[in-house]
Amino acid sequence: MKTANQPLLSLKGITKRFGALTAVNGVDLDVCPGEIVVIIGPSGSGKSTLLRSVNFLEEIEEGTITFEGNEVGYVKNKHGRRHLDTPQKICALRSEIGMVFQHFNLFPHMTVLGNVMEGPLTVQRKSQEEARHIALDMLAKVGLSEKRDVYPATLSGGQKQRVAIARALAMRPKLMLFDEPTSALDPELIGEVFDTIRALGKEGMTMIIVTHQMGFAKEMADRVIFMEAGSFVAQGTPEDFFANQMEHDRIQSFLSRIL
Amino acid sequence: MKVLCGRVIRTILLFSCLLFLLAPLSRAEDTDQIFQDANDAMARGDLPSAITVLKKVPFSKSDDSGAFVRSRMQIARLQFALKDFSAATASTKEVLAVYPDNSEALNFLASVQKEQKPRYVVFWEDCLRFLPNLLKGAVMTITLVFCTMLISPLGGLLIALGRISRFKPFSTLCWFIIWLFRGTPLLLQLFFIYYGLPSLGITFKPFTAAILGLGLNYSAYLGEIIRGGIQSIEHGQMEAAKAIGMSYGQAMRRVIIPQTYKRLMPPIGNEFIALIKDTALVSTIAMVELMRSADQMFNAYFNVTALILAAIIYLVFTTFFTFIFEKIEHRAGIYENR
Repeated sequence: MKTANQPLLSLKGITKRFGALTAVNGVDLDVCPGEIVVIIGPSGSGKSTLLRSVNFLEEIEEGTITFEGNEVGYVKNKHGRRHLDTPQKICALRSEIGMVFQHFNLFPHMTVLGNVMEGPLTVQRKSQEEARHIALDMLAKVGLSEKRDVYPATLSGGQKQRVAIARALAMRPKLMLFDEPTSALDPELIGEVFDTIRALGKEGMTMIIVTHQMGFAKEMADRVIFMEAGSFVAQGTPEDFFANQMEHDRIQSFLSRIL
Repeated sequence: MKVLCGRVIRTILLFSCLLFLLAPLSRAEDTDQIFQDANDAMARGDLPSAITVLKKVPFSKSDDSGAFVRSRMQIARLQFALKDFSAATASTKEVLAVYPDNSEALNFLASVQKEQKPRYVVFWEDCLRFLPNLLKGAVMTITLVFCTMLISPLGGLLIALGRISRFKPFSTLCWFIIWLFRGTPLLLQLFFIYYGLPSLGITFKPFTAAILGLGLNYSAYLGEIIRGGIQSIEHGQMEAAKAIGMSYGQAMRRVIIPQTYKRLMPPIGNEFIALIKDTALVSTIAMVELMRSADQMFNAYFNVTALILAAIIYLVFTTFFTFIFEKIEHRAGIYENR
């Protein structure tokens, strides 16, 4: 049952533990189609873990993930113990959710074009020409058409991250996850990456972005969430969030440290 | 007077007859004495006088007792020992003048002539003599190396993937193979496969046994090297591959393993250089390869040239492979060159 204002992604009671440490503690989150959610918070607060859980790079202990109205990713065996769904299903889900990493993780042995073509070619089994066509489109979108035949080692950090975005976009994902996409970049290179993300937002891409760039959160976000110790402490539209930050001592001290 | 003349003539005739009859006897006694004297002289270490004594044995067309040949060959050997090669040649030729196909004289003449030749000529002639056999052995060595080079990287990859597999029986099996084949001498493994397994009813031809032993041993070593290579690839690569929807197999094949090539070339090249030399071990299981050929030549002629030649052939192989692996390493890492 699909409705217009049904959330694209719905998280309920997500809990992820690493041994004794509870990284994410019962988080609920609904993301509507086209919405841009920005998650901020101190390091170790579970932002990245939450994002990785959405892409099944982390296996959660409790909670449900609902994508396009279907509960996905986990099944119960006959003893009632839940475990990750079959690799095929997980791969299919991941191919609909793009992810961009802090350290780019481009494939160094492939050219820029090869990196972007890899998903359509290997995962979607598209033809060489078709994959190449898609990849060139995506490279044009991130403004790196002229770099298509070089290896990633020759690119600047900002260029690498834009290629990584193109690589994720080539799969035509319905949701994009950005895990601190600018944290490994020199300050003067941050702008070009955010320009790319901004352009995506204008096209109506649904995005969850973990970042420390408050300016970007203020400008682009539909909703800003402050996360600490595995839980959402506060959330709201950027205007409300930044206007009412004084109410939360923790948010205030966090923001004063990074701004 | 007439009577006296007749008695004298009779006596002379009688003595003549007696001398004639006794002549062979006395000559035999003479030659024995000559050899005895010569031996005494040699025992004293006086080789020149031994030669002088032996020369008293007269030249004889019909040398029934063999004393002439014996004396001349002995003279030749003594002259050889005194490094008078031309005199030794002359003495030998004296024998050959009477008996043109006396094998002892012919062989001796050959060794005298060899001694007179410059050393490099002798070495070169030995090389030409040994090379055909050694090259035949070398072809077998190269065949063994190539077969093992084809098998062991595949076996090694399988073992490496097994070791990092989360499927317990597979990873335990691979751990066991590595434990077994790295932990025992290759020589023992070859013996076991070729001599030991027949008692369990499994019989291999020498070549099959050699390939099996080398293949398993080198797969175990390469397995650990390849596992190290795979695990040295940054974890983010696997996550990025998964994030675009790749399966574990696709990520390994397309992303992880291609990145290990450059890193793996130096240690694998090392292993293959060791392999070239380790093939010498299969000579112990009835395989005729380079080492075995060299050993055969060495034992047949007691000539060290065979071993030197084998060493040179091994060096040619290892140098060639070192060069090839440097080239491959350079090409495998082309994307890292800015």
